[in-house]
Amino acid sequence: MKRPGPLLTLLAGLLVGVFMLSFNAATGTKNTSSSSPDTTADTTKESQSPAATASPTPTPTRTTPPPSPSPTTAPVPDAGYAGRTDDDSSAVALTLRDGRAIAYFCDGRAKESWLKGEVTDDGTMRLTGKDGSVLNGTIQQGVGVPPLERSREWGRIRGTVDIDGGHYAFTADRTKKPSGLYRATATVRGAKVDGGWIVLQDGRQVGLLTREGQPSRAPRLDPETGTVPVDGQQLTARRATP
Amino acid sequence: MTVDPNAVTQDFPSPQNRHRRPQPARYLVPALVAGAVAVALGVYGKVHDPTGTAFNLAGFSSTGAVKSWLATTALFFALVQLVSAFMVYGKLPGPAWSSALHRWSGRFAFLVSVPVAVHCLYAMGYQTYETRVFWHSLLGCFFFGAFSAKMLLLRSERLPGWLLPIVGGLVLTTLTIIWLTSALWFFRTFGVTT
Repeated sequence: MKRPGPLLTLLAGLLVGVFMLSFNAATGTKNTSSSSPDTTADTTKESQSPAATASPTPTPTRTTPPPSPSPTTAPVPDAGYAGRTDDDSSAVALTLRDGRAIAYFCDGRAKESWLKGEVTDDGTMRLTGKDGSVLNGTIQQGVGVPPLERSREWGRIRGTVDIDGGHYAFTADRTKKPSGLYRATATVRGAKVDGGWIVLQDGRQVGLLTREGQPSRAPRLDPETGTVPVDGQQLTARRATP
Repeated sequence: MTVDPNAVTQDFPSPQNRHRRPQPARYLVPALVAGAVAVALGVYGKVHDPTGTAFNLAGFSSTGAVKSWLATTALFFALVQLVSAFMVYGKLPGPAWSSALHRWSGRFAFLVSVPVAVHCLYAMGYQTYETRVFWHSLLGCFFFGAFSAKMLLLRSERLPGWLLPIVGGLVLTTLTIIWLTSALWFFRTFGVTT
């Protein structure tokens, strides 16, 4: 037992750890209440963290019933989601903004649908398309991606799409530019062209281009610029928003 | 009748073996401390309600980026550890200060990894909802236990020659898997951003 070095190393690590922990516990509530716009989630955090630091037992928080189910009452974040159906035949992408959602279902060959609707505060949605298709989905906050910036930033949507008598379950994870949902409508040489693209997180694309009602496989979109060559002309697809 | 005095001593190693008698405390104390550290971290991560957010550093887009770069720094110094360990053991030609290099790169790697672990446990907790996350949580707790054991073993002399390299290699392997399941995943998912 002669060398103090290793013990000092461990001790230093312990000190750094305890310091960071107390620093977090002390500043965490201040930072979030002053800087971030997410209000309801923070009130739950504020109500919990003092209890957590004051006493190691989590029981005091149980005296206030609302905090535990409150993640669902937080306002739904504006975000994009994309993913594939469980049978891997099709892709679904959604864009949420201000409590409204637009969704695109596409199998990349012939079947597609644009759906719109409201998103309730508890994260459920029922979107409908002009062709009678229906999407039912639920945002599962803090699931899928580790809670890096937990429920505020992340989550995934689980749901189903009923289209043309088919029933598809899907999972859509959060997208980050340039992945997401794109749409281009234009008139090319007198023909009405309507294209939809789902750019998945891994860069793969699922899209359909409809010329005068005739669907066909969509040419590849440049996700960085949104440009896509259609019949010798450059179209620019925009990120679809509700 | 009293107890036969020979009955007791027969359970101990015979005096001829005393010079190589294993002292269980030498191994038991580091092993027990390692287990205690790992279990304590895991229990804290499981019991403590993850806050979701914590400190961020200026210049970084997210805490995930901060942690990924800190973890990458730790892994870099851990690789310095590997090379300098070979030098200390004479398997590679090295300068006279390779021992100091080994000590200080290890210290630095450890100290850099601590804030990452604090954030993990404080903001995210011990999670098991995916294979990657499960292994990261498990090995993250294991790492600090194994590191504690390594530090405590260093203080003992007359250890079997193979023990330190084995434990050191275990620590390095664990850190590498932790990095693969977190920082590499982060860089692949969100891009190499700061």
